[in-house]
Amino acid sequence: MNFSSPRETEIGDKGTRVVNNQEKKPELVFTDLPLGRTFRPLEYAVTKDLVQEFMEVVGDRHPLYWDKTLAKPSLIAPPGLAAIYARLSYLQDHSMPSGGVLAKQEFEFHNPVLIGDILQVKAQVCESYLDEKGRRRVTFLIEAQSQEGQAVSTIRLYAIWPK
Amino acid sequence: MLKNPQAGDSLPAIEKDIDQERIWQWAKLSGDFNRLHVDPGYAQQTSFKGTIAHGPMSLAFLNELMMDCFGNGWTEGGKLLDVRFVAPIRPGDRIRINGIVKEINKKEAKYYVECDLFIEKESGEKAVMGRGIGLFQAEEK
Repeated sequence: MNFSSPRETEIGDKGTRVVNNQEKKPELVFTDLPLGRTFRPLEYAVTKDLVQEFMEVVGDRHPLYWDKTLAKPSLIAPPGLAAIYARLSYLQDHSMPSGGVLAKQEFEFHNPVLIGDILQVKAQVCESYLDEKGRRRVTFLIEAQSQEGQAVSTIRLYAIWPK
Repeated sequence: MLKNPQAGDSLPAIEKDIDQERIWQWAKLSGDFNRLHVDPGYAQQTSFKGTIAHGPMSLAFLNELMMDCFGNGWTEGGKLLDVRFVAPIRPGDRIRINGIVKEINKKEAKYYVECDLFIEKESGEKAVMGRGIGLFQAEEK
């Protein structure tokens, strides 16, 4: 799956924004997340349009993303995109049930992502347990690499799962 | 870029205004259309009593701060650690993304600059807290 920026929205009656297709996928529930589970790799295309949209939404306009006189050998992508592809890496075939909590997150960046790269992002469940209060705790280890196999980022995402 | 950072220095803070439109745009960018973020009527019925910004958007803001400070020294070896979401960010909030240099360690030809990072509201309430480690080549510091 080549997944960059989803466009599954429309404007409904009275200007209400409606989301299409988001709930057609089955929910990813706690019992789907045993220790060691892996997900099919996400292919995440880092296009110029995606980077442009990211800069507009976030307001992060570092010149290394757009100024070719500064960015050598080529323009790079905002590392903040990792916050997006990390989540998508385990939700390609599922939707997220409501009520979850992102408890903690960590990133380690190894090499810059170049605009035009197609990342391969792999997610694995590295913790899955009920804590002392009975909360469903899930930790994902997410690793992204470039199309050449060069490590880009390692992410740990700690969540409290809703059901 | 930071110039000759010292322990105790403040990072160059970034301010942002958060509104529902921005949250909506992040939903489109990320594919996260959880109703808690994009449906004010629904969110009003939850314990949050209104929509809140996506946590990953705050992570993007922290990355922006560290890119401003370290440039390639962020994309090649930077670490964002122990980032916790301690209070929701809501439409109408003006937030400040900020940090303080905690310590600097030199290993071989690189300086590792560890910073306490936080996002706070105008009231001073912390919404996000964490740590970041950015790199300088020794000749850059």
